[in-house]
Amino acid sequence: MSKVVKDLQRREIFFCITRDLENHQLFAGASDGRVYRVIPECEPPVFLGMDGHRGYVTGVICARGCVISAAFDGALIWWDPVECKPLRKVPAHARWIRGLALSPDESWFASVGDDMVCRIWDTESGLLRRELTGHAPRTPQHFPSMLFAVAIAADGQQLATADKVGKINVWEVSSGAVLRSIQAETMYTWDPKQRIHSIGGVRSLCFSPDGRQLLAGGMGQVGNIDHLEGKSRMEQYDLERGDLIHAFEGELKGLVEKLVWHPQGQVIGMGGDHGGFVQIYDLSSRAIVQQEKTAAHIHDFVSNDAVSRYYAACHGRIAILE
Amino acid sequence: MTGIRSISRRRFLGTGALGSAAALTTRGLEQVLAAEAHRQGKHVILLWLAGGASQLETWDPKPGRPTGGPFQAISTNVPGIQISELMPRMARHLQHTAIIRSLNTKDGDHGGASRLMHLGRRDEPTVKFPDLGAIIARELGRTDSQVPDYVSFYTATEGRGTSLGQSGFLGARYNAMSLTQEQLPANLRRLEQISEIDHRARGELRDTLSDQFMRGRESAAAASQREAYQRVPGLMASEKLFDPSGEPLSMRALYGETLFGQQTLVARRLVEAGVPFVKVSRAWWDSHGQNFETHLELVSELDQVLDALLTDLQQRGLLERTLVITLSEFGRTPAINASLGRDHFATVWSCSLSGCGILGGSVYGKSDDDGNDVAESPVAAGELFATIFQAMGIDHRKEYALGARPVPLTNPGSEPIKAVLA
Amino acid sequence: MVSRVIIGCLLCTCALFQVGPSRAQELSTTVLPDPELTIGAAIDQLIGERLARAGLEPAPLAGELNLLRRTTLDLAGRIPTAREAREYLESNAPDKRRELIEQLLGSPEFVAHQVNLLDALLMQSRRSSLRDYLERAVTENRSWDRMFREMIVGEPGDGEQSGAIQFLRSRISDIDRLTNDVSVIFFGVNISCAQCHDHPLVHDWTQDHFFGMKAFFYRSFENGGFVGEREYGELEYKTVAGESRKAGLMFLSGSRLPESEVAEPSEDQRKQEKAQLEELKKQKQPPPTASYSRKARLVDVGLESENATYFARAIVNRIWQRLIGRGLVHPVDQLHRGNPASHPELLDWLARDLMHHGYDLRRLIGGIVSSDTYARSGIWESASRPPAELHAVAILRPLLPQQYAASLALAAFDPEQLNSPDAPKKIQARVQFSRGFADWFELPGDEFQVGSEESLLLSNSDRAARELFADGNETLVARLRACSDIASAVDLAGWNVLNRPLADAERRILTEYLQQRQDRLAEGYRQMVWAMMTSAECRFNY
Repeated sequence: MSKVVKDLQRREIFFCITRDLENHQLFAGASDGRVYRVIPECEPPVFLGMDGHRGYVTGVICARGCVISAAFDGALIWWDPVECKPLRKVPAHARWIRGLALSPDESWFASVGDDMVCRIWDTESGLLRRELTGHAPRTPQHFPSMLFAVAIAADGQQLATADKVGKINVWEVSSGAVLRSIQAETMYTWDPKQRIHSIGGVRSLCFSPDGRQLLAGGMGQVGNIDHLEGKSRMEQYDLERGDLIHAFEGELKGLVEKLVWHPQGQVIGMGGDHGGFVQIYDLSSRAIVQQEKTAAHIHDFVSNDAVSRYYAACHGRIAILE
Repeated sequence: MTGIRSISRRRFLGTGALGSAAALTTRGLEQVLAAEAHRQGKHVILLWLAGGASQLETWDPKPGRPTGGPFQAISTNVPGIQISELMPRMARHLQHTAIIRSLNTKDGDHGGASRLMHLGRRDEPTVKFPDLGAIIARELGRTDSQVPDYVSFYTATEGRGTSLGQSGFLGARYNAMSLTQEQLPANLRRLEQISEIDHRARGELRDTLSDQFMRGRESAAAASQREAYQRVPGLMASEKLFDPSGEPLSMRALYGETLFGQQTLVARRLVEAGVPFVKVSRAWWDSHGQNFETHLELVSELDQVLDALLTDLQQRGLLERTLVITLSEFGRTPAINASLGRDHFATVWSCSLSGCGILGGSVYGKSDDDGNDVAESPVAAGELFATIFQAMGIDHRKEYALGARPVPLTNPGSEPIKAVLA
Repeated sequence: MVSRVIIGCLLCTCALFQVGPSRAQELSTTVLPDPELTIGAAIDQLIGERLARAGLEPAPLAGELNLLRRTTLDLAGRIPTAREAREYLESNAPDKRRELIEQLLGSPEFVAHQVNLLDALLMQSRRSSLRDYLERAVTENRSWDRMFREMIVGEPGDGEQSGAIQFLRSRISDIDRLTNDVSVIFFGVNISCAQCHDHPLVHDWTQDHFFGMKAFFYRSFENGGFVGEREYGELEYKTVAGESRKAGLMFLSGSRLPESEVAEPSEDQRKQEKAQLEELKKQKQPPPTASYSRKARLVDVGLESENATYFARAIVNRIWQRLIGRGLVHPVDQLHRGNPASHPELLDWLARDLMHHGYDLRRLIGGIVSSDTYARSGIWESASRPPAELHAVAILRPLLPQQYAASLALAAFDPEQLNSPDAPKKIQARVQFSRGFADWFELPGDEFQVGSEESLLLSNSDRAARELFADGNETLVARLRACSDIASAVDLAGWNVLNRPLADAERRILTEYLQQRQDRLAEGYRQMVWAMMTSAECRFNY
């Protein structure tokens, strides 16, 4: 699965990617503040930039015929994917938006940002439905914290958020109540002695199809926090009991930036340090059955319908893996 | 191997003078004395950002450029000057601050660069140069001082080896009182077995015996020993300065609860008590990975600390006599690497000078659009040091005589940047 | 290959000084006192002549106990014990000073102290140490020229490179520094000078001098931590004008050494050499020695008749500085015509004497400490003190770290313990013990100042209190407490710490101090001992 079949090199850093199911095109958010409409199969590949954000574009989803993006400028933008024009812009967070997650029925989506709030938005009206607050704005060492990850369960009833210090909250969407809090502390490295600052955080979340388990990705404890040199890490939690079922520690170093539960039961994780990696976790045998390096750090990926092909948003490229 | 001779404060003050020819050659004594008086009561606080803080995330933002990173620039209280959005509080203090955006120091290695930015010049094989703190301690310290001349904080372990001060040929007299892990300098506290009265009496007995011995003898070294012991009670009394718990809670909160914040608060207590040079090191900024997260942490902290320090100094009327410097060994690459990091970069980077002797609201030098090269007015380490000396009223051309060799405070040809001096 | 630092220096062009060949000739043409004189007599004659010219009467000779302390510190690296001081004072031997010097020069303590001094000079607190080598060399009283050769070329049979060659080995990664260190240490010439262009006295020094010296080491290299030397390789440098020039071998005197051309190796030969070196590295073996060695030529040329005067003068000047407190040429790394000696004939006489007597350092040291000049009092009663370089009066010298540490350790020790036949062993053990805290003190430079680190440490550190001012077994304080009365305790402390009977005024002050502490007399004794041990008298060699 991890062979790069096409490598579209660009100047930009791509942080997020999604696929328009109807039109077979990709939308990727980049470091130049643009959302790119990408048609990789063309020769040369088409990259059509859409201007609207000021700041790194870190979240993009396709829902109800629209593309919705989120960026470090704190704004959400609804786009017409055909005309490539902004339809609506909503100031959503006071600080950087770190990511988006779309509900199964596409009627709503969630955004998380460094204001440490998760907000639930109506896809069509763009109205704010709910705010979920429960992550501390400062780390225990008095530095600004960050709210990195958000995921929604397949039934649309549960939502999970995770922050820099490894705190994971599982919320009941209908009430906004916290169903469970988990502390994935291994993924946050505070160095009190050598360098006196921190690195890490939970960077990716993924519910099991039945909603009973939650996966969290990041990296393990880091010796030298100047570099992404902790071992890649994925933790599997039982949501009913709140227990850690297993922690998968990869041989490769770096952050697990995205986790997807494959229909056939395996889990795919991608991320990286300087370079990128693809890892396949077999949950029943509690083993990482495949871990391969790729050329550049992967921030996000999306699969085709057949789940045979992956499009990865990387540092300086969009890579297609099979 | 070789020693140092210079016209010394001690000679003016008439203690322990050796009759050798003064080595300060270029200026008349009268002028020197005037300058001497002028400098009294001045201080430097160096916030040493060890590991290399990014100029792009502090003093020289490039929003919208491919190299600019995710942070925006914000306007400051001086029209036309913008700094990183990570420093909203500092943006209110630009009227006291000069930013230099065109340091080109050429050395991108932590060890060598750190020495360069401590000494203001390259090491030479056989000369052990004094660092900035030691020179300031020597030039601004007072013989009758009850407090240390040079205090240095460096708590993190990374980079400490190359960032600790050296008094070089100025000798141990100007060594930094150095704090690393501990909160208090070593040996400031009286041992329990001796009472305060006996501690003092014992010191007086020592002086009496020594004075008897010194009858008919003469030695600058012996005079320095006497001075070293006479300073003991004063230095011990300064112990309380190192304890920030003496400050109101509101003041402690102003500086923030981090170690850097609290140490900077101590730095203010020290300069207020008369310490000429305090270095507070904040390590470690070497963000090869996750540059933006690291700078979000560290610049936010720096912003609070700088704001607190400048506000506090100003309210106490100390800012016009205190120079606050932010400096690293180098800056960081404009290019953003695949770990979202920035690497070492000495070709064009920034530092700031606030307060004493500085023309506030000034920006000197310019980087090009993407921050890859100096576009205008490159500044070398020696020029920065000459500027700092000048701001303190110290002639950077003043020479120490190292044996037969005159060693000026900065290497010849290093002129101060007049444009940032008041 | 060419160092930026050094080039930088020379580009900004310092007018460095000329150590021209004429200097060597001067030596042979100057009329020097009779070579048959003793060293002491020659010194006193030449120092005396200059004093007479200045119309100055020197200070009288220092008292016996003062001289005992001074000499013991200089030759054995420690203060005399109370018993040694008393015995010396009581001795009626007519020649007791000469006997003392001979006895000290023959003692193991002399060897240990010399090793300390030479190690500090040669290794300058590098991590590696020459101690093992120096111990052998000083014990055998190896000549200084032989030691020089062994440090640069290596001792015969030292395949492990664990002996004298450590001098070179520890510097091999930086040839510029090595070049300058060799010039400074062995020839008294500092060629790193970068900023002398304003100096009015010095003559031009060309880049050729530096690179000529560097060329001697240019073929030396490091392989797996060992020193090797190639038989090819030419040093090139850029002149001030930007022109590229080959640096041939040239000694500091300006004498150039011709060499036959050597072909550069072919690409294949280089590869072969590289592979061979890699293999040796793996096997942790030193590289093969060159059959033609440039650094050996430096030793040869440096010790050739005329050039050797630099070599001899440099070490004479250093030893003079150490024992007298100020170099005949001051500073000691500035031996050049722009910086003349205070007593040029004396320097030349001593250098010639050293050369004629096989570079025997022990003989030189013994000679200097036997002179009246060495033995002058440090007290100058009348109003204006004469300049130090006239040597009318002894110069107060800060103790070296090891000297001060050893002296403190002995001063704090119970004197009764040293009344037994195994006293020398116990003294040695105390000196050994003091090594543990010698690093509390700074190695003094020319214009040394004591810092508050030292005063705070001796005042307040727990360790100093425990190891130096404690009141336990085998301590001076405990012995003082055992004294029958305060008066005898005060006297005992005087002998033990200051190695002399106290003056009446001192006795009065100390007695009064103790009487005020009758309620805590043990503590009073500790304080008195502390005050004596931290006093200027104890800190300096006077």
